[in-house]
Amino acid sequence: MSAGLRSWLLVVLALLSSGAAAHEMSMAEMEVRQISPREFLWQWTVSGNRPANEVLTPVWPDGCQDEDNIVRCGDAGLQGVLTIKGIGKVYSAAMIRVYWRDAPMSVYTIAAGQPRARLSGPSDGASPGPGAYLYLGIEHIMLGVDHLLFVLGLLLIVGDRWMLLKTITAFTVAHSITLAVATFGIAHVPAAPLNASIALSILFLGPEIVRRWRGETSFTIRHPWVVAFAFGLLHGFGFASGLAQLGLPDSQIPLALLLFNIGVEIGQLAFVFGILLLERSFRLLECHWPRLVERLPGYLVGTLGAFWTIQRVVILLRSVA
Amino acid sequence: MRRAVGTTLVALAAIVVASPAHAHLVETGFGAFYDGIAHFAVSLADMLIVIALALFAGLRGTRAARHAMFALPAAWLVGGALGALWPTASIWPVSTTLSLALTGALVALDAKLSDASVTAFVIVAGALYGFVNGATMTPGGAGGLALLGAVCAIFFVNTILAAEVTVLPVGWPRIAVRVAGSWIAATGMLMLGWLARPTLA
Repeated sequence: MSAGLRSWLLVVLALLSSGAAAHEMSMAEMEVRQISPREFLWQWTVSGNRPANEVLTPVWPDGCQDEDNIVRCGDAGLQGVLTIKGIGKVYSAAMIRVYWRDAPMSVYTIAAGQPRARLSGPSDGASPGPGAYLYLGIEHIMLGVDHLLFVLGLLLIVGDRWMLLKTITAFTVAHSITLAVATFGIAHVPAAPLNASIALSILFLGPEIVRRWRGETSFTIRHPWVVAFAFGLLHGFGFASGLAQLGLPDSQIPLALLLFNIGVEIGQLAFVFGILLLERSFRLLECHWPRLVERLPGYLVGTLGAFWTIQRVVILLRSVA
Repeated sequence: MRRAVGTTLVALAAIVVASPAHAHLVETGFGAFYDGIAHFAVSLADMLIVIALALFAGLRGTRAARHAMFALPAAWLVGGALGALWPTASIWPVSTTLSLALTGALVALDAKLSDASVTAFVIVAGALYGFVNGATMTPGGAGGLALLGAVCAIFFVNTILAAEVTVLPVGWPRIAVRVAGSWIAATGMLMLGWLARPTLA
């Protein structure tokens, strides 16, 4: 490997190394407890790397005043539009659980794509709205650089369109299965070994891409859909981490699961079609790339896969020790 | 029919002229890179000039389109970086609108410029729009990553559109492209008229 290529890869690694945390959803959680008919005690219960109270400011419905984390409302109680300033920057979404004294808990989700929640009192059905789940699904895949890199690796291995269709379908079916399994609580994989395994799946594709460049063959090159299915099962558990953090009530799980999965598919298909369109355009424009540029996506898959594998295995070992 | 076309053009021109007024960055919630992509997608003036330049380069053939594929995003990036350094600079509405009208006219006329001239034109227009982009995005809270996102989106739209135009068969498909150019030119001229309005009053 030339010095130029090594420098290139180092720069790319430095730029993309933050993607190792791409799985972790920036979801803040707020708890609101009714302490009297007109008074509510609230606090952030779950935060990410930066405390939520530093970057998020709730704007309570008209008629409600906040003083030292106690919200005092008028006769109407806690009703009206709640917004949270700062959503969409450090935190992409916030979940608000309202514990009523004489009614079941209500859950609301506020995200950049759905920046307000309408609180309608204790009788509320507590639905965060289908748009929020769809949005979270798209967000999870768009920010999940590791998932997209795995899909890119598959695109680099697959030979023809029919095989591409089979491979992408196999990946979709597989991750849908484990996403459902994990969301319904049938199985659970701890985050540290899961993230290390997902990184390993990307690293696995690196040598396969090189084999394809050399004109060699292997089981993966002959049957990429089998590999896509097998590793898709792992990635599904990764997708589930995004949905699990919502802490959904049982009644909402089927709808949330469906819409979150559709969101993931929208993001994934947009990525695949984008790559295919660019590939077609380069062909039409008769682009003759230098070999280094031509192979850069393959090197990117292999090196980032190796980097994330090492990084996540270290995290795994630390958590075990 | 003519009335409908006229109404559409006036509406389009009004929207394009109005776009700098809400130059704050779109917040997708996906981070600055995606915010930059979304900013480009909803900025009709930026989208129109990229479409016009892609059509123009595509009509001039594979070589010109290939050069434009690199020249436009690179010029936009450099212009954007300079604009970000001087965010208070004027947004030059007459210059940008003039370049839009001119690009539309070149597409409509199927002007037979040399590859080098096409590339030079693309660089000038791209740098001009990029500068305005950088100057308006920065006060809206955008950083380098947002500009990079916008430039990636421009690369994507320009490359795909120009490539598809290069393979259009001779006949009505190329005429349709020229008609689109005439619409862009008309929009640009209407915008110029709109911009001149306060001075006439």
